[in-house]
Amino acid sequence: MAASLHSAAADFPAGLRVLVVDDDATTLRIIEQMSIRCRYRVTTCTEATVALNLLRERKGCFDVVLSDVHMPDMDGYKLLEHVGLEMDLPVIMMSGDSSTSAVMKGIRHGACDYLIKPVREEELRNIWQHVARKILNENKEHDHSGSIEDNDRCKRGNDDTEYTSSVVDASEIAKAPKKRSNLKEEDVELEGDDPTTSKKPRVVWSVELHQQFVSAVNQLGLDKAVPKRILELMNVPGLTRENVASHLQKFRLYLKRLSGVAQQQNGMLNAVPGTIESKLGATGRFDIQALAAAGHVPPETLAALHAELLGCPATNIMPAMDQTALLQASIQGPKHSHAEHAVAYVQPLVKCPSNISKNVPPSILTVNDTSSGYGAWPSSNNAIGCVKPNSSVERVGIQNNNMLMDILGHQQRQQYQQKQQLQQQSLVHDQSCSINVQPSCLVFPSHSSDSFKAVNSPASVNQDCSFGRNAAIDYGLFSHKSNYSLIASQFPGGDTKAQGVLYGYTVPSTCSTSSSNGNIQQLQNSSITFGAARPLPSFLPLSDRQDPYGFKPGDSLNQVCLRNLGFVGKGTCIPNRFVESEIESSISDFNHMKVNVDSSGNTLKEEPNFINFPKVSHPIIERYPSRDRSSLFTE
Amino acid sequence: MNKIWLSSGVLNSQLAKTGLPLWMLGLGADLLWADMNRLLAFLFHQGVLDEQFLQLQQLQDEASPNFVSEVLNIYFHESEKLLTNLRGLLMEREYKKMEIHLNQLMGSSSSIGAKRVTNVCVAFRAATHHTNRAGCLHALEMLEHEYCYLKNKLHELFQIEQQRALVAGVRYPEQNQNQ
Repeated sequence: MAASLHSAAADFPAGLRVLVVDDDATTLRIIEQMSIRCRYRVTTCTEATVALNLLRERKGCFDVVLSDVHMPDMDGYKLLEHVGLEMDLPVIMMSGDSSTSAVMKGIRHGACDYLIKPVREEELRNIWQHVARKILNENKEHDHSGSIEDNDRCKRGNDDTEYTSSVVDASEIAKAPKKRSNLKEEDVELEGDDPTTSKKPRVVWSVELHQQFVSAVNQLGLDKAVPKRILELMNVPGLTRENVASHLQKFRLYLKRLSGVAQQQNGMLNAVPGTIESKLGATGRFDIQALAAAGHVPPETLAALHAELLGCPATNIMPAMDQTALLQASIQGPKHSHAEHAVAYVQPLVKCPSNISKNVPPSILTVNDTSSGYGAWPSSNNAIGCVKPNSSVERVGIQNNNMLMDILGHQQRQQYQQKQQLQQQSLVHDQSCSINVQPSCLVFPSHSSDSFKAVNSPASVNQDCSFGRNAAIDYGLFSHKSNYSLIASQFPGGDTKAQGVLYGYTVPSTCSTSSSNGNIQQLQNSSITFGAARPLPSFLPLSDRQDPYGFKPGDSLNQVCLRNLGFVGKGTCIPNRFVESEIESSISDFNHMKVNVDSSGNTLKEEPNFINFPKVSHPIIERYPSRDRSSLFTE
Repeated sequence: MNKIWLSSGVLNSQLAKTGLPLWMLGLGADLLWADMNRLLAFLFHQGVLDEQFLQLQQLQDEASPNFVSEVLNIYFHESEKLLTNLRGLLMEREYKKMEIHLNQLMGSSSSIGAKRVTNVCVAFRAATHHTNRAGCLHALEMLEHEYCYLKNKLHELFQIEQQRALVAGVRYPEQNQNQ
């Protein structure tokens, strides 16, 4: 587009390629005529759906879209969202409705202008400025890392937050633009330095690609659309399920945003009781969500913002995103027959949440649910002290399970049934099961590492984008998780260990993470348990059950330390490790805080690990070969 | 300039009084031009039309010599459909759909500068928004009335324009004097 503009720079506004969409033929004809007068190259369209197809088919054939707001086949705002999602085009809305709310809605949906009908020729004569502005901003973005457009994006994201009045949001708004540019530079550097990133083919969701995607989704139905099926339907070589998965999330978020849930959720966020974590989590999640929803938010930006909000270095986030990729990739592991067998007994613990999440319709991916779910966090935390750390990890796994539900669906259902049976059977049996599981888990990763590698290597930027959403979504599942943890606690003994194992399973490639995570959880659990800083009503039985498993406080701590240290050491040796450590460190930040508050004595041993994680990750983030995992486990 | 406004191409009523076309009676294009302006001024004064209609006229050029009539024909065609639908929808009390129809009618009416129709549409839409059936009925009647009035007046305008074009065409066939 820039090229076309340069070539026609002499008489720039002339030749502007305008697509006019209006169901009203009269207006359409008039605007067409006006555009001709302005020497634009104008295409008219009476149906929004046709217009969208046109835009998809002829990507790059239009500079600006002029769309009516009220159209029978598709709301103008929806078209606006689609255009914003699929192609980076300035969209100008027009409507006879000059009410502030209508105009505001247009702005919120990302319209670059809102013309009140009747549209006058003078107004039309000026629309080229939006195209010019966009191109200039793009150029600037190429030249400098912090661009105006970026700030615009940020503002757009913040526009969404403007209805929340909490202090946290306000400060975030104030901070975000400032820090953004710095962070972004870092990210750009990182990207440049990262050989694997440059090797990986970045999946750019071209209009054609997105069209295929959308048609696949439509074919499946949005509720039933899962990445794998979509991928099959799309049949695009080089595209991985992760790409599709993240794009699907993005897509869903957009669709969700269309339904105008955004404002309610903001209100709900304010109601969330403010523990430190919850605030952090809320802002981080919310902001990311808002930005992501605003569209065009580059992953770096997301990452940076998220990092900032969570108080982590930016690098922490990038790997965290990859973590999701890893998780997703690793979930493919079970496809290997060995994995299935190995997992069968372990699975129940994981399955609980995944099944729960399965019951939740895909639309749970909204913030609305999220926030409500989020609200449940602190309470569940209090109720079951040791659940929290677990669930923070589980969140990821669960969420991924959710995304990949249908892939694992049958397995999980079977396994779920098995699990139920297990539950019905004696507790002793359960224990034996969980014990059996562990070794098999250790074997497992060697299988999975291959699949991980294969899947992960083409991971795209889009993937990263999804992280913000993942995070957001994960919180949403939290309430379920507390249920889960209760269920899990019914497994006497093997409980904590099984979780570690379990993560080993669900996240084969990230086994070390999960296991160490499990350890951390254990540690934290134990620390909380034994520190007993808080009254934890429903928590006591759980701790009782943990004890049979053989964790005395000292034991568990030692064990944990050993494992964690080992983990860190491996992390340094094995580049990939940073991925896990990243997410962990972010998670552990919470845990860390928690632990410090709850029980000071026990945490001392824990801390080095947490400190180590970021250290490890920084150097490693630059290079990111996807080899490694199996060695970890065979070690 | 051969502006044939309407396909009928009949120079009717006004001319029929004398039995001869006006231009044969020596009435020139200038007179017809004056007639047109008077009618337009009248419609403006009444608030039937607004300056958007002038915009519409200005958009007509050599490249699209029939632009105004083309647009107005589209407008009448669409509006009649919408009006018919509106009446049906009002009977079925489909206020939501009525609102959508009214939005469109409002948009197109304002685009051609049909000010009074637009205004009635606004009132109508408010009535549908509040599911005020009595208000809707009243507004619909108003709308139909305004629409008919507009259509008649614009028709009149067309005819004068046609005659003017004919006269101009006869008298000054090789010039594009009027534009």
